[in-house]
Amino acid sequence: MSTINLLFVDDEEQFLKTTKMLLDRHGMNAVICTNGFDALSILDERRIDVVVLDIKMPGIDGIDVLSSIKRKHPEVEVILLTGHASVETAVEGMKLGAFDYLTKPANVPEIIAKVEKAFEKKRSTEERVRREKVERIIGHPMAIYERDEK
Amino acid sequence: MDIEANNYKKTRWMILNRVLLVPFVAVMLVFGTLVYHFAANLETQVSEKLTYIADGHRRLIEQFLHEKSFELRYIAAANSFDEISRPGRLENIFGQLQQQSAAFIDLGVFDDAGNHIAYAGPYDLEGKRYAQAEWFQQVQRKKIYISDVFLGYRNIPHFVVAVARDEGEGTWYLRATIDTQFFEELVESIRVGKTGEAYLINRDGLFQTRRRSGGDLMETDPDSAAYQTKENSIASFKADDHAGARHLYATCRLGLTGWLLVVRQEIGDAYMPLTRAVLMAVALIVAGGAVVVVMGFLLASWFAHHLTVAQMEKRQMGSQLIMAGKLAEIGEMSAGLAHEINNPLQVMKSEEALADDILAEIKAKGSCNDLENIRLLKESIGRIGYQIDRCKRITMGLLKFARESETATQDIEIQSFISEVVAMVERRAWVENIKIIENIDEHLPRFRSDPAQLQQVLLNLLNNAIDAIDSASGGEIRITVAGNGNEILISLADNGSGIEPEHLEKIFVPFFTTKPVGRGTGLGLSTCYGIVDSLGGSIEVCSELGAGTVFTVHLPTTGPSASFQHAAVAMNKKGGAL
Repeated sequence: MSTINLLFVDDEEQFLKTTKMLLDRHGMNAVICTNGFDALSILDERRIDVVVLDIKMPGIDGIDVLSSIKRKHPEVEVILLTGHASVETAVEGMKLGAFDYLTKPANVPEIIAKVEKAFEKKRSTEERVRREKVERIIGHPMAIYERDEK
Repeated sequence: MDIEANNYKKTRWMILNRVLLVPFVAVMLVFGTLVYHFAANLETQVSEKLTYIADGHRRLIEQFLHEKSFELRYIAAANSFDEISRPGRLENIFGQLQQQSAAFIDLGVFDDAGNHIAYAGPYDLEGKRYAQAEWFQQVQRKKIYISDVFLGYRNIPHFVVAVARDEGEGTWYLRATIDTQFFEELVESIRVGKTGEAYLINRDGLFQTRRRSGGDLMETDPDSAAYQTKENSIASFKADDHAGARHLYATCRLGLTGWLLVVRQEIGDAYMPLTRAVLMAVALIVAGGAVVVVMGFLLASWFAHHLTVAQMEKRQMGSQLIMAGKLAEIGEMSAGLAHEINNPLQVMKSEEALADDILAEIKAKGSCNDLENIRLLKESIGRIGYQIDRCKRITMGLLKFARESETATQDIEIQSFISEVVAMVERRAWVENIKIIENIDEHLPRFRSDPAQLQQVLLNLLNNAIDAIDSASGGEIRITVAGNGNEILISLADNGSGIEPEHLEKIFVPFFTTKPVGRGTGLGLSTCYGIVDSLGGSIEVCSELGAGTVFTVHLPTTGPSASFQHAAVAMNKKGGAL
């Protein structure tokens, strides 16, 4: 299993630091930042598999960050973090393409489990896309056959 | 309750004044005019009537006297001295006269020297000499004479009519005494009201007829000095009599005797119809007035009662709205509070997970001397402690808020007060990318107000300001506090979206909101308005679309007045009960 490149975005700095420590211990490659602008530039600069994103943040709102990510980097999976009061917003985020959401205070093992699932999904998606690419390039005998049939 | 009772009394008095005063003035004006005209008219009428009576009466009396003197002249002309002095002849004539009218009391014949030659009548006067008598001298001169009332030999007041008859060389005289009672009845036969009377006085002011209201024959009329006379016509005037009673008079002289005929009536009697009309009008006005006053009083009470009830309901509704606003606020606050507490909880959760992880590693290694991990564990516990302190600060703040909502008016130090309020929204503002700038006049004295209520107002305004600013572009909120005489001015200016002009006049109306459904109750600003009002101050707003909004709260430095304080305390009590 390859290393997960994780971006953790939250305005609570201590939460980020501790969580990064934990994620590092679990063998993930975690990058942290405290606002949406920084998150978007990090996504542009390096390979990120999964983003854990707090919805309520100063400056640019989590939902806006999510739609930017989905526009620019559709392959990146996003997990939303939300307070109880804004579950509706999280649901809205799901519609925009978020992988899942977690309500605060969230158990870190739960976060890790969700991150791993998201990574799995991303990897399988990538695998499928890659296979389709390869199949398109080298061709599939049956596919040709099926095409001829038609 | 005292305020209500006072209001009720004031309102009732005001209505009563308006309802009663205007009709009263109008009625008095009408009444006054009517009485004046009626009185003027009546006065003319009464004096004209009296004049008319006096004139008719004079004619009657003069006619009587003329008639009597004519009868005497006729008898004198029809008889010679010898015939009439013959015994029995005079009695015969007298008897015939008596049959015609009872005006004469006796009849006498006198020679040139004044000797009483023949007499017919009840007195024993024959043979008496009258040469020195006033009437005899007068009749000698005037040939026909009507005397004033005198006593004479008979020593009883009477007056006589005498005529002279020239016969050959000599002259003889015929004299008749007029029946005083008969004459008096003739003169007195006037009835005007209750006190109307007629009488005669001679030129010396002696009564020639009895006066009904007092005054016997030949007595001096004590009022005669006040009589006005006009030769040949009737004088009409008002005068007081000797007893001070005011009378209406009509006087005229009789041509034959020079007597003055006086017809008079007491003013009170003469004006009786007027007095009666005025009394009746007064009675009507008093009775009507009483009805109007009672009705007015009932009406005013009714109106005042309803007005006061309406006022009370309005005030109650106001405080109910404030309560509703407070409840909504509590809901919003709980949401905010949950968010605030969730953050440290989240940190603690991650610390817990870290600690678990470290402990698992230590266990796996089977050594308690894993110094690096123990250091990490210690640090983690320290961070948990810090987060616990953070939660404690939040709950302490909340408790303080709750405690303060029970206190009423107290001295407030504005600088630290504002800082406390700002601290409550600081994090939210930071999240929304908003800078809060405090600009507080350092020399402001402490002022009296209700800190809990005021805190709620400022929190509301601050939260609204934060809502108005777009978090993407950020903005600032400027809090300015200044003094102005007996006022403290707290203004909150934001550079947010501003308020639409058509919304501006409605923003203090309860339930008016421009926020999406579920986001705002529409009670925040109306609650602010109610609270500031109950603190004896006022709140105003000034806004420009796209440029921002300024809310300014004016508060009296001396705190809410007694009545406001009363209302504020009542409101707090209700809040406490809820």
